Amino acid sequence: MKISKILALLALIVTIMSCENDEPQPEEFGTFQLYFDNKVGASELTLSEPGSTNYNYETTNGEKFNLSRFGYYVSKIKLEGPNGELYEDEVSVSASESKGYYQILESVASSHNVMLENVPAGSYSKVTFTIGVAEDGVQEGALGGVLDPAKGAWFWNWNAGYIGMAIEGTAENSAQQYVDWGNGTETKEKTFAVHVGGWKDVTDNENFVNNVRTRTLDFGTTVSVSEELSPNAHVVTDVLKLLDGVNIDFSSTYSVHAPKAGKPFADQLANAFVVHHVHQSSNGHGH
Amino acid sequence: MVINRVMKKCLAIGWVLFSLWSCGGGADEKPGEVLAFVKPEHFPEPTYTFQNNPITAEGFELGKKLFFDPILSRDKSVSCNNCHQQSRAFADTPLHPTSVGVDNRFGIRNAPSIANMAFMKEFFWDGAVTHLDFVPINAIESDVEMDESLENVVKKLNASEAYRTKFKTAFGTEEATAPYLLHALSQFTAMMISADSKYDKYLQGQEELTANESRGLALFEQKCSSCHAGVLFTDQSYRNNGISSDFGDKGRGLITEDEADEGKFKVPSLRNAGITAPYMHNAKFSTLEEVLEHYGNGMVDSPTLDPSFKNGEVVVGIPMTKEEQGDIIEFIHTLTDYTFISDERFRNNE
Ligand code: HEC
Ligand code: HEC
Repeated sequence: MKISKILALLALIVTIMSCENDEPQPEEFGTFQLYFDNKVGASELTLSEPGSTNYNYETTNGEKFNLSRFGYYVSKIKLEGPNGELYEDEVSVSASESKGYYQILESVASSHNVMLENVPAGSYSKVTFTIGVAEDGVQEGALGGVLDPAKGAWFWNWNAGYIGMAIEGTAENSAQQYVDWGNGTETKEKTFAVHVGGWKDVTDNENFVNNVRTRTLDFGTTVSVSEELSPNAHVVTDVLKLLDGVNIDFSSTYSVHAPKAGKPFADQLANAFVVHHVHQSSNGHGH
Repeated sequence: MVINRVMKKCLAIGWVLFSLWSCGGGADEKPGEVLAFVKPEHFPEPTYTFQNNPITAEGFELGKKLFFDPILSRDKSVSCNNCHQQSRAFADTPLHPTSVGVDNRFGIRNAPSIANMAFMKEFFWDGAVTHLDFVPINAIESDVEMDESLENVVKKLNASEAYRTKFKTAFGTEEATAPYLLHALSQFTAMMISADSKYDKYLQGQEELTANESRGLALFEQKCSSCHAGVLFTDQSYRNNGISSDFGDKGRGLITEDEADEGKFKVPSLRNAGITAPYMHNAKFSTLEEVLEHYGNGMVDSPTLDPSFKNGEVVVGIPMTKEEQGDIIEFIHTLTDYTFISDERFRNNE
């Protein structure tokens, strides 16, 4: 064969092949909704003003408190089924968006729902997700969307990285004193703030803690996704489990702003998230 | 067999060529991608994520405008350039031993040269920041520097027609946002490469060192390059070089939360050190003579002092004669890059 012929043939093959991946596969897809329901033990979570002395919650040790802010980042969501079904939520970051990263904020009702699109039809029995923003979300540089620090992203600039979970409120025993920061911001008396951050894995220094955690939650059953079937998993995040788990004593633990101090809380994340139940069809979740 | 192998190669090449064209779709084309980051041949690969933020003439120009614009500070009094000046290889002037910000409040650290940032793994004296894009957040929000919130800076930029237009031409966005602001600043700072000093010319066989400079180089390689290593003149580690035993500023210990790292600071690059006085994170020394005298005879012991400066329990520092110190200083002066400090691209022309 002459070279030119070979090249022409190759050109043909290559043009046909190289765009193939962009074509949608002839498969069936549906949606799956994750609903993050933040709770304090058995109670619904209601937010109070910072500094409010109306303590509507109590830990098992009798520490009275309320919450003024609660939230966390979730990313890298994955659904798996008993027959090898697999859905991985697309993660794609740039200066204009942070696809696949979700900031679940108690104060923003719409953030509690994470809608997963283009889930291959099939049955699913468990969900996996990461709590916090791992190295690959930090080391890409400045990102948009929920990771944009000027748009509410929780960015630590003293030790660059994102706060994975924030728990703030006021506690009867908190030793926090009033602080006027002089620039229009203040810290109210008896408030507390637990900011769980830290993403570096440094093997030769055990003090360097990575507080990003990945959880896999079983549904205890299977649900089906199809063009008609859009199931919903109701995930309960229990603040009380976090605070009880570390045996919180607000008189000494009221200002957690570094990876090492946040580690005990991160270690409780395994217990704090559970799938409460799943709905087969998601025609409006009853809240 | 032979044909098969050739065909495989053709296929591979064809594949690359065609996938470049046929699926491009123009989606990632940025306007006017002409200004290029060119790695000096003798430099290591850059660490900066250019794939997320390709340098363009428009992005660079916007970054430059921002760098020189006090709009980034609360009272519009301080720009990046206040503390990072081209004539000092973008370090601070000796008038501000530790940097001075809004309301003349003093920072606790000496502003370093920001040349060759595209090659660094971590930033600041303690490595607090792990990506160049995030560096300006600290400068803007630190209450001893510009004392402004990133959110408010973005608001101010959007209030300016001129800036909105520049963001649009640089990034195709309808409004200024923080990630693009940070990208623009990184484009400007990442381009600040200093690789054309006398020493670089010597490495490339274009210039000779004097006898003193050559002796200085040999001594430097023997006594200093375990830390001030390679063409960047830093191994990017954190060390305590004995300037103090009082760790009011814990340095690396702040970040690792480990006592064993208190008093350790990032080994700074010595490129342009001849013009970046004062020296050390706390600006302890104002001349290179004092620095060399420190390494020779002035070292203070502490639990985290670098073990290479000790012989058992005894602090020995780096034994040198006065003459040797002088030669090393002459060598350090060969690292001054006059091309860089007079490069028009980095000059404020507004
Ligand atoms: C008030 C003085 C001041 C201003 C204004 C200032 N800087 Fe800095 N800069 C410093 C100091 C001091 C450091 C070292 C801080 C540290 O190590 O904690 C520094 C560090 C840096 C570094 C890292 C250098 C290294 O070797 O790690 C970069 C990059 C930088 N500044 C860029 C900027 C940019 C861009 C701006 C404008 C948005 C800016 N700076 C504004 C004082 C300043
Ligand atoms: C064990 C590692 C180590 C060795 C060896 C070493 N240095 Fe350093 N050097 C450092 C560190 C760390 C700093 C920054 C210390 C600080 O600011 O706290 C530094 C800072 C400097 C500075 C100040 C630079 C600036 O921009 O502020 C100069 C100049 C310098 N060293 C020169 C030398 C010379 C010359 C030698 C050899 C005679 C030498 N160093 C050997 C670790 C070292």
